[in-house]
Amino acid sequence: MSRVMMRRKGKRKPPKPSLKAVWRTHIDDHPIGLAWSPDGKKLAVAGVSGPITLFNGADGAVQHKLPGHTFGTMAISWHKSSRLLASVGQDGKVRLWDTRTGSQTSEMAGGASWVERVAFSPAGDWLVSAAGRKLRLWDTTGALSCEYPDANSTITDIKWRHDGKRFAVTAYNGVVLYGPTRAEPLRRFEWQGSSLTLEWSPDGKHIATGDQDSTVHFWLVESGQDLQMWGYETKVLELAWSFNSRYLATGGGTQAVIWDCSGKGPENTKPVMLEGHRDLIKHLKFQRRGMLLASGGKDGLLAIWKVEKKKTVMLADSVFKNPIAGLAWSPDDRRIAVSDESGTLSIAAVQRT
Amino acid sequence: MMNTLETRVPVTVLTGFLGAGKTTLLNRVLTENHGKKIAVIENEFGEIGIDNDLVIGAEEEIFEMNNGCICCTVRGDLIRILGHLMKRRDKFDYIMVETTGMADPGPVAQTFYVDDDMQEKLKLDGIVTVVDAKHIWEHIDDSDEAKEQVAFADVILLNKIDLVASEDLDRLEARIKSMNSMAKIFRTRDAVVEMDSILNVGGFNLDRALEIDPKFMEPEYPFEWSGIYELNTGTYEWVMGEGPDPVMGAALLPLANNGLAAKEATLMGAVLTFSEDEQAVQAGETLRLGKGQHNQLVLNGKGETVFNFVIQQPGHYMLFTEHHPDEFDAHLCGTDAVQTPLETREYKPDHEHDEEVTSVGITLPGDFHLERLNRWLGQLLVKQGQDIFRMKGVLSLRGQDERFVFQGVHMLFDGRPDRPWGNEQRHNKMVFIGRNLDRSALEEGFRACLVS
Repeated sequence: MSRVMMRRKGKRKPPKPSLKAVWRTHIDDHPIGLAWSPDGKKLAVAGVSGPITLFNGADGAVQHKLPGHTFGTMAISWHKSSRLLASVGQDGKVRLWDTRTGSQTSEMAGGASWVERVAFSPAGDWLVSAAGRKLRLWDTTGALSCEYPDANSTITDIKWRHDGKRFAVTAYNGVVLYGPTRAEPLRRFEWQGSSLTLEWSPDGKHIATGDQDSTVHFWLVESGQDLQMWGYETKVLELAWSFNSRYLATGGGTQAVIWDCSGKGPENTKPVMLEGHRDLIKHLKFQRRGMLLASGGKDGLLAIWKVEKKKTVMLADSVFKNPIAGLAWSPDDRRIAVSDESGTLSIAAVQRT
Repeated sequence: MMNTLETRVPVTVLTGFLGAGKTTLLNRVLTENHGKKIAVIENEFGEIGIDNDLVIGAEEEIFEMNNGCICCTVRGDLIRILGHLMKRRDKFDYIMVETTGMADPGPVAQTFYVDDDMQEKLKLDGIVTVVDAKHIWEHIDDSDEAKEQVAFADVILLNKIDLVASEDLDRLEARIKSMNSMAKIFRTRDAVVEMDSILNVGGFNLDRALEIDPKFMEPEYPFEWSGIYELNTGTYEWVMGEGPDPVMGAALLPLANNGLAAKEATLMGAVLTFSEDEQAVQAGETLRLGKGQHNQLVLNGKGETVFNFVIQQPGHYMLFTEHHPDEFDAHLCGTDAVQTPLETREYKPDHEHDEEVTSVGITLPGDFHLERLNRWLGQLLVKQGQDIFRMKGVLSLRGQDERFVFQGVHMLFDGRPDRPWGNEQRHNKMVFIGRNLDRSALEEGFRACLVS
């Protein structure tokens, strides 16, 4: 068991070379989903009230405004082709959109009134959705491919392993692994508690979960052994792995906490604490192939950190008027999309240093 | 988390057994022209068909926050649904959460204390319980859920009064009051009630809870009546008629003078006396006088029974009786006339044997020592958190100019400084509602936390 020693309200370091704005716009809603198309040409932004706006990634021109879901959209996921976008929401539906035409291609029933999670597999052959305890697998035409047995409790997150052969689901009581070829669960990592979010390490060896009781759980997939990291200020909803599977960045407080998972793992090690935010961190995202970590806070601060073994430093920052509502690195890692709760959407280029 | 400016959206939780009238009440709230924007989280079995306000269906999903801690169960579905709702641009004036008939109100109430996001954006305004006045009798004795729904409530609607005789209604109201003396009770037909009575009730407002029944804060005594007599040397007769009980406890204590302090001292002496084993006194025998002498007067089966008082020192005496003398037509006779007490007092009877679920109100003068109080409360909640359904209080802390107000659900405790005391007399008032509460242990525990 490893313990985080939290210190609140650290001093802000002087700002480093700032981010260079590429374009900036506004949507009239609280953005809840922010996702680049895999080719980096489009940016999809879902608003809490329902509509999904498709922007041209290069200049911010609105390409389409999809109606989304009555009562609210909950999540979006891009297909590998960058043409299909899946969305789920409070109308109980899973919807597939052709983003070139802006038209809906399929509408499926998620199985309960709130469909909360959706994820295309990395290879693009499957789509998995979760609504309450219902877990369903679809193909890209919207045909139901598999209905899994009901989960014990509402599913809080779904993530595909990077090879696309497995996906992991969290709910109260731990993590369950499934595959696209059979309905039975393949593996269970049980734990008496409520996990809210999960992330696979890119090498597939670890699964980290952020939990309601202010802890982070860390599973070694092969052995099934688990570690618990505690001492967080609040529930942990922010998790990010570095591309080399070495570092796990976690939120759950005003300081991002970075665990080094190399060697014997994070057990009994002292994590690196990133000081800079003045309020809770709400989003953490590592680059896809680089060591830059972006953090977005309730204080409106966007900070870019360079994570290194010797010393992690804040490279750049930018302050928004409202709490950060979403972060997304472009597929080429050169730009970052940031939204705040008022609907401001800003795309900035990160200068190489 | 402290908010100086209240921007949190109030949440009303609606409980009650299936068929009690929750849906009727919800429909009324939604259709009444009150100009308020209300979101309703309806339980999975709900059946509201109204679209002018936001109605969201929820599948009650209860989970433990911490490994193995039953007191920290919350409603996971509410955290998600309300979290999403609070992001919307269309802001709501109120949120109502309807629970299923068999629900324990604990987890839903706890949700608003345990989750940081909930606590920041929402406040539990009150728990409203709708009771089917006709059918509650089928549940109230053996259903834990029915008892808990009554015990947790800030407001109770005794609904369907048109189906019940008024004596039965009085009996029901008395029963409910003995379980939860803090709640405001309304008698309704078709759940017709002023919106102001159920929305924005400010469950936190202890002062208001106390206005309802000031007698509630009084301690309970093992006797119902006392009378002060001025007696000369001689023998008196205490004459009793037939009454509701074949025996009655009594104590006769000398009173040093007619001052308040002496009366209080004698009263405490009587409480101690009543805690002693009682000694039977048969017809024609003499009552034992003084502290520690707990007499049990044994009545004849029929007609009058006479007991003797023998007074050797002239002066004031205070007689304490387990029941009110009027119930037995009892009176004290001197040699030539009936003696009238100079002063009488009635006491709130002790309900400990009647209900498993009760309310205990404690009032203490003085200031609390914060650390001692924290320690004691911590221990109390660990030991008895499961049995304490709700608690509220206004406390005077040493060195603090502001009143300290708190409330809690099971083991969860939320306290904060409130307005300054100003000219108001500093005091400590607390209310506990729960199962098998021990009044004297609670009072003693809190007393030990006072600054001596």
